[in-house]
Amino acid sequence: MDWLLGTSLGGFLVAVFYPVVSYIIPPETAEASARSVVLGFNPLDVPRNSGQIFKFGSRPGILVRTPSGEFRAFSARCTHLDCTVQYRDDIQHIWCACHNGHFDLAGRNIAGPPPTPLEAYDVNVRGDQIVVSRRG
Amino acid sequence: MIRVAHLPVVITVVAPLILAGSAAGPGALLAQARPGDAACVRCHLEQEEESLVRPVVRFEEDVHRAAGLGCLDCHGLGHEGGEDPASGLAFLSKPSAEEVVRFCGSCHSDAAYMRQFNPSLRVDQLQEYRTSVHGRLLLEEGDTTVATCVDCHPAHEILPPSDPESSVYPQRVADLCASCHADPALMEPRGHETDESDDYREGVHGQLMYEEGDISAPTCNDCHGNHGAAPPGVSSVGNVCGECHTTMAEFFEQSAHEEWFEAEGLAGCAACHGNHDISPPDETTIGLRFDDVCTQCHDPRDPVALEFTAMAVFLTELQEEHELSLAALEEAENAGMEVSTALFELDEVSTVLIRARSAIHSFNYHTVEEVLEPGLEITEAAAQRAEEAMEEHRFRRVGLGVFAGIVLSLVLTLLLKIRQLEGVPSRSDGTIPADKGAHS
Repeated sequence: MDWLLGTSLGGFLVAVFYPVVSYIIPPETAEASARSVVLGFNPLDVPRNSGQIFKFGSRPGILVRTPSGEFRAFSARCTHLDCTVQYRDDIQHIWCACHNGHFDLAGRNIAGPPPTPLEAYDVNVRGDQIVVSRRG
Repeated sequence: MIRVAHLPVVITVVAPLILAGSAAGPGALLAQARPGDAACVRCHLEQEEESLVRPVVRFEEDVHRAAGLGCLDCHGLGHEGGEDPASGLAFLSKPSAEEVVRFCGSCHSDAAYMRQFNPSLRVDQLQEYRTSVHGRLLLEEGDTTVATCVDCHPAHEILPPSDPESSVYPQRVADLCASCHADPALMEPRGHETDESDDYREGVHGQLMYEEGDISAPTCNDCHGNHGAAPPGVSSVGNVCGECHTTMAEFFEQSAHEEWFEAEGLAGCAACHGNHDISPPDETTIGLRFDDVCTQCHDPRDPVALEFTAMAVFLTELQEEHELSLAALEEAENAGMEVSTALFELDEVSTVLIRARSAIHSFNYHTVEEVLEPGLEITEAAAQRAEEAMEEHRFRRVGLGVFAGIVLSLVLTLLLKIRQLEGVPSRSDGTIPADKGAHS
């Protein structure tokens, strides 16, 4: 009886502390959905007139650094058929290769079939971090 | 100046019928009319013929009315053959087809005049019309049955193209063109087909436009032009399609086929995809297209057939792997597992598939393979992540069962222990025997 009681108590303690330890030392996975995200690159490493895709929740976002050095971020899902857009430094547009959709540096649909602008995010540079947040 | 309030108005039965669809009543129309137009409005409302009443009723919603223009700005003064004493212009009642074109063009080609209403409005409509099939037939051959401005933009009821009620709203353009181009009486004498509109509706662009409500999908004027409407020439088809299908056009231009197609008089994209009844492309049609189209030049035993089939197989494989991985990840996500990174990475495969379908237009297996390879790597990693997530999910379920068992066992053991302790007889002085107390 005492052995059974001791074993059950030991098992109980293991079952209680295992999740606690797992919580304290989590696996390296990002959060499922986010209202804001800290990008994994330093603002100084992003050249002017360039764009980079980043993960925002489970969806792609695009960070654009304009030729004047300003950071802007948008959803990278084209509003036409959901292809991932890219930055074209030759024409300084956000561009969708699928059907030649063009967006300006404010995310506005300016040519091709995309019916609406890209969803815009807020960008804040805090020291060596870039924080992108959903608006509203 | 005519004073509206003093006009004896005798409204016929026709005006109220037309006004049923309008926000304004006859009195309101008169009150709202510009001073110079009041006489026109009053007289037209009294008419018995619907065609005479309709212009003044419908004009209230016309873009020209919104811009501050009225009857006299287009028709001038001097009713029934008279002349406007100020300008000397003759009254323009119902202009002929040729007069319509010149008349509309007189303002719409004048950049200085149009700028005061909308500086961004184009002023090359007349110039374009002259180059169109319609314009050439009318102005060079005197064919008055062709479309002029008012056939597409009905006079007195022109709405902005963005208005769903406008005759040129994207979802109404195919019907507008079909009103002539599906009419055998008009088309057969010219040797034209009449099924383009029906074909368009069945094709991928028509399905997008009407079944999915995507007004950004191309309609007649996007490929043929609007004021300069003309069929694209054989050598121009690729440029027209390439306006949207840029990457496909680039691959095609880099392939040897562009030159061969031109030499054979094949109309680029349309040679394989058709023009109005363009079927939605998928991997299964690649093989079919080889039999239908490629064998016109290629021998069916040509090694290129194998290469083409291999492209289809490779594409199908990625498509299927993508669907399986996505389903597995969604199952894991529904089970409460964290797989957002894998879903994010898998998202790229949709773009890879579109790029690969574009790369087919290079007609080169290795080019397609180069595009597809990263997609297969992503789907493989995603499937593995889904498996790991479900394995972890199973571990958690088993762990929960074991934990529940341990708790139950602990509770039962404690109960038994308590009962055991309660079953020990105590001494009259309340103390526990030494041998029993040592265990507790």
